[in-house]
Amino acid sequence: MIESKDVCLRYTDGTMALKDINLSVDAGEMVYITGVSGSGKTSLLKLFMGVEFPTTGSLNVLGHNMTKGNSSNIRKLRTRIGPVFQEFRLIKGRTALDNVMLGMRFLDLSPSLIREAANDALVKVGLKHKLLSPVENLSWGEGQRVAIARAVARKPSLILADEPTGNLDKDNALNILELLASFKDDNTSVIITTHATHLIEYEDYDKLIQMNGGNIYSESLGEAK
Amino acid sequence: MKNIIYNTGYFIKEAKTIVKLDLLSNIFSVFSIGLIFFILAMVISGWWVSNQVIDVIQGEAEISIYFDDNIDSRATQQLVEEIKNIEGVGEVRIVNEGEAYERMVEILGKEATVLEFFDDNPFSPFIEAKINLEEVNNVLKEVDLLTGVSHVRDNRNVLDRLHNIAGLLQILGFLVVAAVGISTLFIISHIIRLGIYNNREQIKTLRLLGAPEVFIAFPFLLEGLFLTVGGGIVASILSNLAINQIYTQMTGPLPFIPLPPREVLVSGLAIMIVTLSITLGIGGSIFGLTSSKSH
Repeated sequence: MIESKDVCLRYTDGTMALKDINLSVDAGEMVYITGVSGSGKTSLLKLFMGVEFPTTGSLNVLGHNMTKGNSSNIRKLRTRIGPVFQEFRLIKGRTALDNVMLGMRFLDLSPSLIREAANDALVKVGLKHKLLSPVENLSWGEGQRVAIARAVARKPSLILADEPTGNLDKDNALNILELLASFKDDNTSVIITTHATHLIEYEDYDKLIQMNGGNIYSESLGEAK
Repeated sequence: MKNIIYNTGYFIKEAKTIVKLDLLSNIFSVFSIGLIFFILAMVISGWWVSNQVIDVIQGEAEISIYFDDNIDSRATQQLVEEIKNIEGVGEVRIVNEGEAYERMVEILGKEATVLEFFDDNPFSPFIEAKINLEEVNNVLKEVDLLTGVSHVRDNRNVLDRLHNIAGLLQILGFLVVAAVGISTLFIISHIIRLGIYNNREQIKTLRLLGAPEVFIAFPFLLEGLFLTVGGGIVASILSNLAINQIYTQMTGPLPFIPLPPREVLVSGLAIMIVTLSITLGIGGSIFGLTSSKSH
């Protein structure tokens, strides 16, 4: 599903964001990437989404060779990814349902199927009562759930969640992690980045990747809790 | 294509939202576009009317030949025959005093009461000859040589002037069409770029979710179309009002100007403005989208 070999990423301002990243994620895996701010977690997710491209090394995501210059290839890849952005990126002035449907409108699905899938996803994240609420009227936690619903409604092969626990308290953060983990199945891998290392000890995972200074300094396999 | 059909409702809703985001500015844009189209409509209607006038006058090209008072009816008939034999002359007939009077009554319409101030019929009989406009100089020269001809009246100067005016209006029309086209393209593309800038975060999100560029661009294209068609409707309403006013003003004091039917002019202009607004709306939107993408 994801295969990275000696990947380095240097930004145009010269900053070396990632160094010699070697990792693999198989279908249906639950992976946590942890590290302090600036350790390279978000940069790694940007590579997976085709927002940035490796300066050196090779990266393959869902069968797509991640090299710069093939925008239609990247667009197709992105339709198979369910991203949960750190800042949610919900469209203001639209309802929760509209936001979730928007993530699927260009996927060649019929309008009734899109509505049904969006509705189900919002029910699954516990927002049955907020379907028609404008997103600016939702609380921070509810907004995050809408973002998760938008990511999962389109049945992606890969869910990428960037710091979904944010500044949540421990209970709410664990709820969000468990919610995201619940979408993992044989075909869908979930990758979550978080700086809250202490929360992961409560969670099941297949891989735990720890980063520092743009390097992976530790990778461990998980055990069922 | 399937996506566009499925999402028609969404695109219209999005375009409305984009328009609402900068409502005041968009309202001003609609009126600016409307005024530009109105200027265009007025120039084109001027051109249309002058062409119509020339066509009518050309179709009825004729000269009036006045003869000496002392010649009798036999001599007049002889004159008619001689005129008929001149090359470039068609139908020739005598218009007597009574018919000349009736014609003036018809031309003056409501103002014909002025003729009642004359004790006697003030008009003289004359010979009316239809001529080929190309041969006008030769015909006039030959008619002048005939015995019994007092003077000849032709409308050559009027035709020449009208031709000049029509030519000028045509050039002016082309310039105005070009100016309107370019201005509208720039206004629309600027509005689209502004809309894209205002919605840049939404656009970025859609791109991150894998939305194709056509899907992202479509509401902006519709926005451009809404604004130009809105401007087109404003221009059509203003043109209708202006033409009604002009016709009311002209048909009274200037009844002899052969204006085209008002309904034909108004509906023709409305169709032209709306077609032009759709074309320029799509063109301007594509230009705006392309130029904002390249930045």
